[in-house]
Amino acid sequence: MASIWTKIITLFRGAAHEAGTAVVDANALRILDQEVRDAQNALVRSRDDLAKIMAQRKISADKLGAKQAKQAEYGNYIREALSRDNRALAQEVANKLAAVEADIATDSKVIADYDASISKLQASARQAETVINRLKQQIDTVKATESVQRAQAALAANTAGTGAKLSTALDSLERIKQRQTERAAQLEVAEEMGKNQGEDADLHRRLEQAGIVPGASSGDSILARFEREQRPALSHESAPQLGQSVGATPDSVPKNG
Amino acid sequence: MNTPWTTHSLFDALKSDASADLGGIDLELVGGVEPTVSIVMREHGDLGLQLAVSGGEIFVSAPLCLASQVKNVAEFNEACLRLNPLNPLSNLGLQNVNGEDLYIVFGELSSRSPLDAVVEEIRVLADNTLQAAEAFADHLK
Repeated sequence: MASIWTKIITLFRGAAHEAGTAVVDANALRILDQEVRDAQNALVRSRDDLAKIMAQRKISADKLGAKQAKQAEYGNYIREALSRDNRALAQEVANKLAAVEADIATDSKVIADYDASISKLQASARQAETVINRLKQQIDTVKATESVQRAQAALAANTAGTGAKLSTALDSLERIKQRQTERAAQLEVAEEMGKNQGEDADLHRRLEQAGIVPGASSGDSILARFEREQRPALSHESAPQLGQSVGATPDSVPKNG
Repeated sequence: MNTPWTTHSLFDALKSDASADLGGIDLELVGGVEPTVSIVMREHGDLGLQLAVSGGEIFVSAPLCLASQVKNVAEFNEACLRLNPLNPLSNLGLQNVNGEDLYIVFGELSSRSPLDAVVEEIRVLADNTLQAAEAFADHLK
């Protein structure tokens, strides 16, 4: 059974000289399938043997049982004959018992041999089952590997025409580095823009302070605005008519923003 | 025990189960009789993984590098063998893809694994693959 590894390694060695190594997986599967079949045949054989030996053991055990009954029976006869002082009869039965006991010894030995064979066969059946399970597992692995390898080959074939190599972790590392560089550049640009905006804001603030550009509303500027509104209203006795507001100074119209 | 996944049922579950955190993971079912799930890891530089379920096993594989990208194959192979036992949950391997040798990082888990374990495996594999590629930088062209 240990030869399975050797067989597969031999396959790889052979494949190094061949063009296509996909052959290896196919052959590995073939070898594994063969091993499973062999192990299953061995299992069936050892179970057959086991059944036969167990049947033989049963026959021997039945015979032994009969002889042991005989042994007990003869023992009783001897005891009975001796109690009646019939020594000659006791002697005759004792001779027969001697033969029965010799048979019992032989049969017990045979049964012990059967028991040893049975436990050996049971152990080898268990081992065969383990081997079969392990081989089936290995077949699963080879099949899964093969599927994945085929998928990778298909990917490689897609890139083959483009002159690009099959994309590996090296390309991914390169991509990550590139993305990090891009991100760093974006951050730099954002930072630069932020700084510029900061500079603009500073200039704007100083322009505001100098009164060159209008600033944000303050309490003072709002009060001034209301005061300017009040002044034209005070200069007329009656409320201005709708049309008159057209001629009003721009100051009197509340500004938005 | 829960029912084992097939490639199809696992793909459907990943797509429809709201509890699966698939942020940054794009999935596509590819192929017919023996389909695979093609995965693109957006947060791992678009690293492409392949996933397939067969019987008792889920197999997820990521391409590490091509043998043609390795400076000294013997030295690189030794480095891979030495790194492999230290790599949690993932293994390093070599496969032939269309006549070209491809080093892969792969993970296997039971097809009875819960959905979040599968998602975890996918993320760990992507992390490990990029970390391996970084660790092997000196060996690569």
